[in-house]
Amino acid sequence: MNRLRISLSCILSLIIFIGYTPNAWGFCGFYVAKADTKLYNQASQVVIARDSDRTILTMANDYQGDVKDFAIVVPVPVAIEKEQVRIGDPKIVERLDAFSAPRLVEYFDDNPCQVYPASETPPPLPAPAGGAPQSPPARSTLGVTIEAQFNVGEYEILILSAKESSGLETWLKQNGYRIPSGASQLLQPYIRQKMKFFVAKVNLKEFNKSGYESLRPLMIAYESPKFMLPIRLGMVNSKTEQDLIVYVLSPKGQAEVTNYRTVKVPSDSEIPLFVKNEFSDFYKAMFQNAYTKESKKVAFLEYAWDMGSCDPCSAEPLTVEELKKAGVFWLKPNEGTNVFISRIHVRYTRDKFPEDLMFQETANRKQFQGRYVLRHPYTGEMKCPAAAEYKRSLKQRSEEQAQTLSQLTGWRVEDIRQKMKLVSDRSEPFWRSIWTD
Amino acid sequence: MLKDARDYQILFLSLFLVLGIGTRDWTLHPEFILVAIATCCLTQWVAASLKYFIEVDNKDARDNGNTEGLIDTKNLADVFNFSLVKPAFRSAIITSLGLSLLLRVDHCSTMVLAGAIAISSKFIFKIKDKHFFNPANIGIIAVLVLTQDAWVSPGQWGEDWWYLLLFAGTGGLIVKKVGRWDTTAAFLGAYALLEAIRNFWLGWTWDVYWHRLMSGSLLLFALFMITDPRSIPNARISRYLWAISIALLTFILRNYFFIPTAVFWALFALAPLTIVFDSIWQAPRFSWQETSPSFTENLTLDLAIAPKSAPQMEREKSQVG
Repeated sequence: MNRLRISLSCILSLIIFIGYTPNAWGFCGFYVAKADTKLYNQASQVVIARDSDRTILTMANDYQGDVKDFAIVVPVPVAIEKEQVRIGDPKIVERLDAFSAPRLVEYFDDNPCQVYPASETPPPLPAPAGGAPQSPPARSTLGVTIEAQFNVGEYEILILSAKESSGLETWLKQNGYRIPSGASQLLQPYIRQKMKFFVAKVNLKEFNKSGYESLRPLMIAYESPKFMLPIRLGMVNSKTEQDLIVYVLSPKGQAEVTNYRTVKVPSDSEIPLFVKNEFSDFYKAMFQNAYTKESKKVAFLEYAWDMGSCDPCSAEPLTVEELKKAGVFWLKPNEGTNVFISRIHVRYTRDKFPEDLMFQETANRKQFQGRYVLRHPYTGEMKCPAAAEYKRSLKQRSEEQAQTLSQLTGWRVEDIRQKMKLVSDRSEPFWRSIWTD
Repeated sequence: MLKDARDYQILFLSLFLVLGIGTRDWTLHPEFILVAIATCCLTQWVAASLKYFIEVDNKDARDNGNTEGLIDTKNLADVFNFSLVKPAFRSAIITSLGLSLLLRVDHCSTMVLAGAIAISSKFIFKIKDKHFFNPANIGIIAVLVLTQDAWVSPGQWGEDWWYLLLFAGTGGLIVKKVGRWDTTAAFLGAYALLEAIRNFWLGWTWDVYWHRLMSGSLLLFALFMITDPRSIPNARISRYLWAISIALLTFILRNYFFIPTAVFWALFALAPLTIVFDSIWQAPRFSWQETSPSFTENLTLDLAIAPKSAPQMEREKSQVG
């Protein structure tokens, strides 16, 4: 019982850009600036490797400002000790992103007078941003207790517990953290749930020594039945839409959000060929469109797959070594890779997502991927009666693709037709589509 | 119009399923729905037949002092005589629709198991001819525990106001039909109060509170599951206590044990309390078509106009006899 009560807790939040666009990292949680620098967070990525109550959480961020101004405050379920915190490998998050990203696939028509398999375009990947370190905080009372204080890599970490939110706010301010106004009120529920606060900032000396240009992900291991991400704190200093991509790794099956709907992104649509050159624009427009259609209050499932394979692959499956670096702790030698990944993309705002995200893992092992199809017409010489029929079908197919693309993205169908060079085709007399000879 | 309140339930649950498939992109498979309906009806039929034969045998034994020739050919033919066997197909369909709405499975076999356990429970877990587990609920809990491929998606109904209105409106209608609206009110009232106190104490803004209550799954449960008049306590006072207990346990399981499917576990754990409460507070038990003084106050004309000649009533009488 005691443990359960303690477990009132949580984790953290983050976000990301999507799909094929070069991703930037961003700690969501909420930023606490050490100086008067304008801070913002646009996108974060979180990896949650979870088996029953055990969790390894990796938080990656797209922090763009000066590293010396970087700080985060994340409510955590239980007190965290030094050995429960590690520096993650940024490449692993990139790998997970690449492996699970929505993908474009191509097919080539066969000679109609007689179709090949697909190839897919792999997504490019994120790169973190950089900066420099800071001075240690002082101690004071105010009902704030420093449960632990340690350095991990370039980070200086404090685990705080507090009695009153105003005390915590004052303490943070006195110690040079710049708290967004309104944060105090939001800290209270976490304090009352007996959560601890994981506070991290950058040790400049260590950071410079490390030779990295950007902040590396932080990993925390803990045990708690509470399976959630506290996004509320992250919304204190941001009124705009924030993107969070959560990669849930589970031995069981697909993860879903329990207090908001989880909806699959539109998938398996056949779209015009020109999208190949603007896939990131396409995906952003399509996602925004789907997001708006769902009244901006659902979580999107972009990928759900057993990590032993992929089809088509946008990146090679992660090796056992890479999975372990991603936090997967249940693999045993010679027992294969029993890991199911769910990529959940949440675009949230304060008004539509009042409550922190709660998750559950389900037994659902149905695989799903965001996948968009290009079909190249056959361009070789065609000499047979079927060729005329094939050419006619191409026109209809192009028009259907234009309509589909318009519906998916909200782009004007006229513009699409223009790009597809369909305009002239449409002026053909209608009878020609049937009387061809 | 529809003669049996259960027809309304079937109608509304079907409507929700159609809406669910049409507007929510669930992992709802029509074939699983068909499997659930088929399994529940078949189990109901088989169990009702068995019950009939056992009762006939016992009656024969009492009448003739003859315990031999348990099932003769004539009796076997009776299996197909629904007016004798009286399988309650309506109830079975309601259970299967409830399962289809709430339960998600990967394989048909799991749905078959859920349906079979749900209906069998009515014939097994009963005292004085009253079953005390909600069939769909026990079916869900059973497969959650016994199989690896079943789950419940509490978030999949979303929290749109539109759904709230639809659920509340139609659900309210139904519970008025069956006369147990007080259970819904007591459950929702108690749960909403507990959540409000917690929200206030934690200091969350009130939109968090509303978001927690606006869950379609919670309403579906409150309006269609804990109102099943056949398995809940008979006396009004005991229904209040029973519903409040479930609300309290749900609250604890959800907020302190972090179980997303808290409501179903709460109902499952507290269902046997029905027996205890019924023995403490006695009141005429519910039947689908009969009116009885204990609940006419709630349902007035709807049940009063229901025909008393329906098969169920005969069954009730025969059970009494």
